[in-house]
Amino acid sequence: MTPFIRIQNISKKFGKLLAVDDVSFNLERGELFSLLGPSGCGKTTLLRMLAGFEKPSEGYIEIDGQDMANVDPADRPVNIMFQSYALFPHMSVSNNIAYGLKRASLPSDEIKARVEELLRLVHLSGMGARKPSTLSGGQRQRVALARALARRPKLLLLDEPLAALDKKLRSETQFELVNIQEQLGTTFIVVTHDQEEAMTLSTRIGVMDNGKLVQTGTPNEIYEKPETRFVADFVGDISFLEATVIQRAGKYWLMKAATLIHATGSSTLTSGMKVSLAIRPEKITLTSQPTGQLNEFPVEIEDWAFYGAGTQYKVIGPDGIKLKVYQSHNQPSQANPRQLETGFVHFSPDATFILEG
Amino acid sequence: MHSFLQKFGRLLVIWLPLGWLGIFFMLPLVEMVNVSLSEARRAVPPYNPAFQIGKDGISFQPAVDNYLLIYEYWEDYLWPAVNSVRLAFFSTLYCLLFAYPMAWWIARSNKSLQHILLVLILMPFWTSSLLRMYALIGLLNPNGVINDFLIWAGITVTPIQMMQTDFSIYSGMILTYLPLMILPLYASLVRLDNSVLEAAADLGAKNWDIFRTIILPLSMPGVIAGCLLVFIPAVGEFVIPALLGGPEQLMLGKVIWTEFFRNRDWPVAAAIAIILIAIIILPIVYARYQDKESIS
Amino acid sequence: MRFGFILAFSGFVAVSGHTLAEESLNVYNWSDYIAEDTIANFEAETGIKVTYDMYDSNEVLEAKMLAGSSGYDLVVPTADFLARGREAGAYRDMDLSKIPNASNQDSEIQDQADKMVGSDSAGLVYMWGSTGIAYNEDMIAERLGDNAPTDSWSLLLDPENAAKLEDCGIAILDAPTDVLPNVMTYLGYPGTSTDKAHFEAAGDALSAIRPFLRYINSSQSINDIANGDICAAIMWSGDAFQAAYRAEDAENGHVIDYYIPDEGTNLWFDVMAIPADAKNIENAYKFVDYMMRADVAAENVNYVWYASGNKAAMPDIDPDILSHPGIYPTEKAKEKLFVTPVYDAKTDRIVTRVWNRFSAGN
Repeated sequence: MTPFIRIQNISKKFGKLLAVDDVSFNLERGELFSLLGPSGCGKTTLLRMLAGFEKPSEGYIEIDGQDMANVDPADRPVNIMFQSYALFPHMSVSNNIAYGLKRASLPSDEIKARVEELLRLVHLSGMGARKPSTLSGGQRQRVALARALARRPKLLLLDEPLAALDKKLRSETQFELVNIQEQLGTTFIVVTHDQEEAMTLSTRIGVMDNGKLVQTGTPNEIYEKPETRFVADFVGDISFLEATVIQRAGKYWLMKAATLIHATGSSTLTSGMKVSLAIRPEKITLTSQPTGQLNEFPVEIEDWAFYGAGTQYKVIGPDGIKLKVYQSHNQPSQANPRQLETGFVHFSPDATFILEG
Repeated sequence: MHSFLQKFGRLLVIWLPLGWLGIFFMLPLVEMVNVSLSEARRAVPPYNPAFQIGKDGISFQPAVDNYLLIYEYWEDYLWPAVNSVRLAFFSTLYCLLFAYPMAWWIARSNKSLQHILLVLILMPFWTSSLLRMYALIGLLNPNGVINDFLIWAGITVTPIQMMQTDFSIYSGMILTYLPLMILPLYASLVRLDNSVLEAAADLGAKNWDIFRTIILPLSMPGVIAGCLLVFIPAVGEFVIPALLGGPEQLMLGKVIWTEFFRNRDWPVAAAIAIILIAIIILPIVYARYQDKESIS
Repeated sequence: MRFGFILAFSGFVAVSGHTLAEESLNVYNWSDYIAEDTIANFEAETGIKVTYDMYDSNEVLEAKMLAGSSGYDLVVPTADFLARGREAGAYRDMDLSKIPNASNQDSEIQDQADKMVGSDSAGLVYMWGSTGIAYNEDMIAERLGDNAPTDSWSLLLDPENAAKLEDCGIAILDAPTDVLPNVMTYLGYPGTSTDKAHFEAAGDALSAIRPFLRYINSSQSINDIANGDICAAIMWSGDAFQAAYRAEDAENGHVIDYYIPDEGTNLWFDVMAIPADAKNIENAYKFVDYMMRADVAAENVNYVWYASGNKAAMPDIDPDILSHPGIYPTEKAKEKLFVTPVYDAKTDRIVTRVWNRFSAGN
């Protein structure tokens, strides 16, 4: 079976600048796919090529079996929700939503019914007559969503859909967005620079760097099994330990990074190899007394920051190795670690992973 | 001391523009109303001011005779007024039709080109408008540059009569007033968010549809401002039709001119000008004001 | 709007360079109305610094005079405008004893002007002239043949002739007081009439040729007739000769001539006069005296091609000018020349209304 959306070897050049560099991926119907990356990585350019505002310099886009090469934005089964929302300021909410339907010359009672249905979907019933300028940021975002959904696109593109909202509203809206997507079953591609947002929303994530798609996978795969140092660093917090492989030790590998550490690793490792050992902060446990577990060593606490649900520490181990440690506040047995100046950390070998180079 | 300066500064910011408006806009207008209510006489000045501050204190003896005279001979003033409004209307329309694509093009150019184009648009203002009209005459005359070219190129045998036609008049009007239309249009078009246009295209609108449903309504403030800037002075225009037009163009501006210079009747001239303001300009300004209210 | 502007600022208008110093003089004269070096010569001779400004219509001069505080010491209005200005108190009498060269004046001309102004001490006639018809010889002959009435107002005022000339272009002055009286003489009424019916008849006669007119304008015809863009026009004598000179100078093959119609025409006189609020009165007298010198007056005539009010200048004037019947009319033509009366406000209004109706085409 051919995939619902096929993006093959897409590149885009602006003059000498290669904004998108040979990107390929496929989507199945109903997926919620996030393009994640720092600003300037080419994710928005890729989105604009999907919408039809930019022509790819090379490559091929197919949606539901149809080649998009010579299809105008107006005729694509694709709609986009802009980061700025791009609402029509001179039209009421209803007319904004109805705009795409009127272009399709639908009968007016059908348009009316569809607008009402969409208003209900985004919880704006009764606000159809208002002008966008009288709405709050969250309401505007929902109008933009309703407008983009009105034509029942096969693919909905969302450019930083939550960036303009404040933090509290953002997490509420995230769930809302997922809800609506699941209700309608429309395929979504969300562009975002916010890894947390990508994690929460997506069924799959594509991480972009410098015009290249560096890794695609489920949020869990991206988080737990980053394939490059860039992905590991960009998605979530992480500490790196430069280590030298000593030898195999049962199911683990013994390595030397200031102190001896047991870590996971593939069979391609050989003795004496230099590797980057990565570990997420929440996988490390900080205690005031040694516990005698594997991979334990003493640290000095350099700095800490309180996050409510937990505390983030910066600690310095033997030979000056630096680690980030996140302690969730759900362990009442722990002494209040914030008063510590020194302590011990330990982590399971299963929590580590190796990134070469 | 500091807060005094601040207070003073604030007062200055509020009162300076108001004072400017008062001195250079309201006072002349009030003086014009005063003259229109005065009696004409052969003296220096050639009217007996209705409102006077003299040795005997303040006196105010308005005479409505001037308005009655205009009322009595209304036909003499109506047709020139119709001519003037027609001229102003079509000049405004043509300016709008020419200015819109130009303003659009400038607004969509890159920033550095925009500056150059705007300077080019304003350049004619650096020369006298009379000079530009004579330059136009030099182009359009039967023995002018254009006819010389057409005859040389074999397109026509006898010169085409372009002067003293509607064509020459409206060429002059457009030449003079086009920048006043382009600038406000440009100002409103340059603010147009590109993503709004893309949103419309994305929702299935083709070019003409985008223009009709998005660009035009959103540039309406510029259209209205430009039309006012052209229409209001064009109503009073008589030099251009006199220089470029045939005999059929008696304009209200010329009628005011004749009242002032030929009949030496400054009060009647002032009265016509006041009526012109009352009938044509005030309603426009009022409608504009209402419009603004309803938007905000 | 323009009007409001004029009204608001007329009070502030003053001559630039105006000072209270003894040795200065502010002159306001018609454009192209003086020989090129006259002012420089006067300055060199007297040491008086002259600020020389120009206007191109009586109306503009009059508005400045009526508004007051113009700052000028000597101006040159046409006699009927001077008469009205004096009525308004805008001018002062001239003390002719301070102008020795006043004796050079042609008394016949000066008397007519004085009669029109209603005073013999209003000022001295600088130049005088007539209103007539300027035409392009070849273009007229081509359309009307050899029997073209180039001695009558009918060349333009007869609709039949006007129709034949429409294609080459005819124009008339935008000056009702110089056109309507002449149309009245063409119709057989006295040119000096102030009868409303006569004015209206003249208006009707003009309306009959209106469809054939290229335009009604006082300043445009000089260039246009010189370039062959129009072929005949009612014009002032001096303007017509300027056009003829320009055509000759351009060697464009157009020959322009001017005539005073046999039915008669109005004479006009431009008079040197002193505004009531002039500051440098003594210098103004010195200037007038200088202008009245025979050699200076002759030089000016030879430059501007208008008839001078100065009799003593005659021997020095170019014979071509003296012998041209369009400039110095023949004795026979003189019999038909007339001077229009100064109209009162009511007549002004009638004239304006008739003129506006004609030019609006109602």
